[in-house]
Amino acid sequence: MATPDIDVRPARGRLAALLASRPQRSALLPSIGIAAGLLLAALGVFHRAPPDRSTVPAGYAALVNQKGILTSDLISQSVAELGKPFTEVTPAERARVLHEMIDEELLVQRALVLDLPETTTEVREAMTGGVNAQVAAPLLAQQPTDEQLRAYYDAHRAKYTADGSMNVRDLVLHIGGYENADQSMAQANIDATEAVYQLRSGASADYVMEHFGFNDSGRMRFGNEPDFAAKLHLGPTLYPAATRLTEGQVSDPVADTDGLHVLIMEQRRMPTIADFASARTAVYADYREDIAKAAQHENVKILRGQAQIILAPGESE
Amino acid sequence: MVGALALLAAAAFAMDLASQHQAWERRLLTALPDQVVADPQLVRFAIAEARPLYARHCAACHGRDMHGNPALGAPNLSDSTWLYGSGTVYDIERTLLYGVRSGRSKSHNITDMPAFGLTGRLSDGDIRSVVQYVLQLSGDNYDPAAANEGRRVFYGNANCSDCHGMDARGDSGYGAPDLTRNVWNSGGSAEDLYRAIYFGEHRVMPGWRGVLPLEQIRALAVYVYSVSHPTPAQAANTYAQSTTTPGSAAE
Repeated sequence: MATPDIDVRPARGRLAALLASRPQRSALLPSIGIAAGLLLAALGVFHRAPPDRSTVPAGYAALVNQKGILTSDLISQSVAELGKPFTEVTPAERARVLHEMIDEELLVQRALVLDLPETTTEVREAMTGGVNAQVAAPLLAQQPTDEQLRAYYDAHRAKYTADGSMNVRDLVLHIGGYENADQSMAQANIDATEAVYQLRSGASADYVMEHFGFNDSGRMRFGNEPDFAAKLHLGPTLYPAATRLTEGQVSDPVADTDGLHVLIMEQRRMPTIADFASARTAVYADYREDIAKAAQHENVKILRGQAQIILAPGESE
Repeated sequence: MVGALALLAAAAFAMDLASQHQAWERRLLTALPDQVVADPQLVRFAIAEARPLYARHCAACHGRDMHGNPALGAPNLSDSTWLYGSGTVYDIERTLLYGVRSGRSKSHNITDMPAFGLTGRLSDGDIRSVVQYVLQLSGDNYDPAAANEGRRVFYGNANCSDCHGMDARGDSGYGAPDLTRNVWNSGGSAEDLYRAIYFGEHRVMPGWRGVLPLEQIRALAVYVYSVSHPTPAQAANTYAQSTTTPGSAAE
């Protein structure tokens, strides 16, 4: 029969052994406590307490649905609105301005709830304009050199032309119309060619109108017109033909939707290209506008690179 | 065990420091901008906070010594001349918050110096004459005959007085510099002035709102203020002229 182990050491010796063996167990709980304490302390050191949403943070004059109104903005707005130093603004005036700013903030927040950026063109324009202005701002700080400006002018001379003007008589032969009911296209061409020959030989427009059945088209009824207006009135077929004429010249017959036209250039002032010296102000403005546009274009490229854009079937890249 | 207790004590100490730091930040922001300078302890805290921020975000343009950089047109922040406002903490903070021509509509952006030569608005001779007149205004050596002609251009077809004023002392409301103080952002030699008039000035400073926390912006404003107002007498003088007053938003 096994004899149970009996500690036969004296009581003092047993206590010493107990003390020697227990520290490992007794340190466990305090160690866990210390570690947890250290962890909490570290969290406390490295993480700030969440903001109290019921009080206005320092530096702000008000919170509107957790959106702050800066005290600095309140001062600026008060000075601008009341036209006096902030030291002279009364508490009542200050409160009025603040509440105006709160109202504005509420409306801005409402606009976002109503999704105005999605549905209102003016809001979209203001937003895109704001982004574009910020993107362009740093680049506009750099002024161009004379050489850069000159190179820009050389590359964009067409921009700096002063419009010419023309007084052109536009005669039309309506083919198959009431006056020329039996006329074929071939016959009309022959008549128009003959009319041009007569005009170039010195016949008057009135004679040609009467003899060949031409009418005044009415497109140039205002007489002498700047080129841009003549372009508008003559249309894309006749205007190029008109720009090729010098004063006194008669065009070949030109077919347009309403018949065969003959143009008689009565007065012509050719467009002029402004020289660099006189175009400098415009060149400078255009140069800077192009710099801004280039920056905005690059920004959009970057945004596109970061965006997920999926096109519907049938929409091309 | 002792080591753990030491660590615990250190952590508690760090927590206390962090809490104190947050309290100081709150105090810095709770005061109205120009009130801060009346509290030396707060100014010391702000300066300590701002020094590394200045080195990281501002020194590249304004220089480590705050003396500016004429090549960049970055102004000297250590003197008493201010392009915008009168150099109060509030004024400096506004510029820090929204910048100059930063593309934000709250930035300083009412006007800029036109490129008189580049756009052909003034001839080379006219610009050289105006330069002589500006040298005269700023107390530098000048050619009297050319300066006389420059004066005519200054108040005539160049319309310089529109922004710089009839007395040429500028208008800090919209950043037109005082031409009589001989303090220049882009250099004050005849050549520098010629370049400024010929090419114009369109300097840009970014706005820091949304980039840096408000307390850091405030600390930077106080730091710049303290460097540009080194003596208590000067500080008191500017403080008296300040546009702000103690008090919180009234309901």
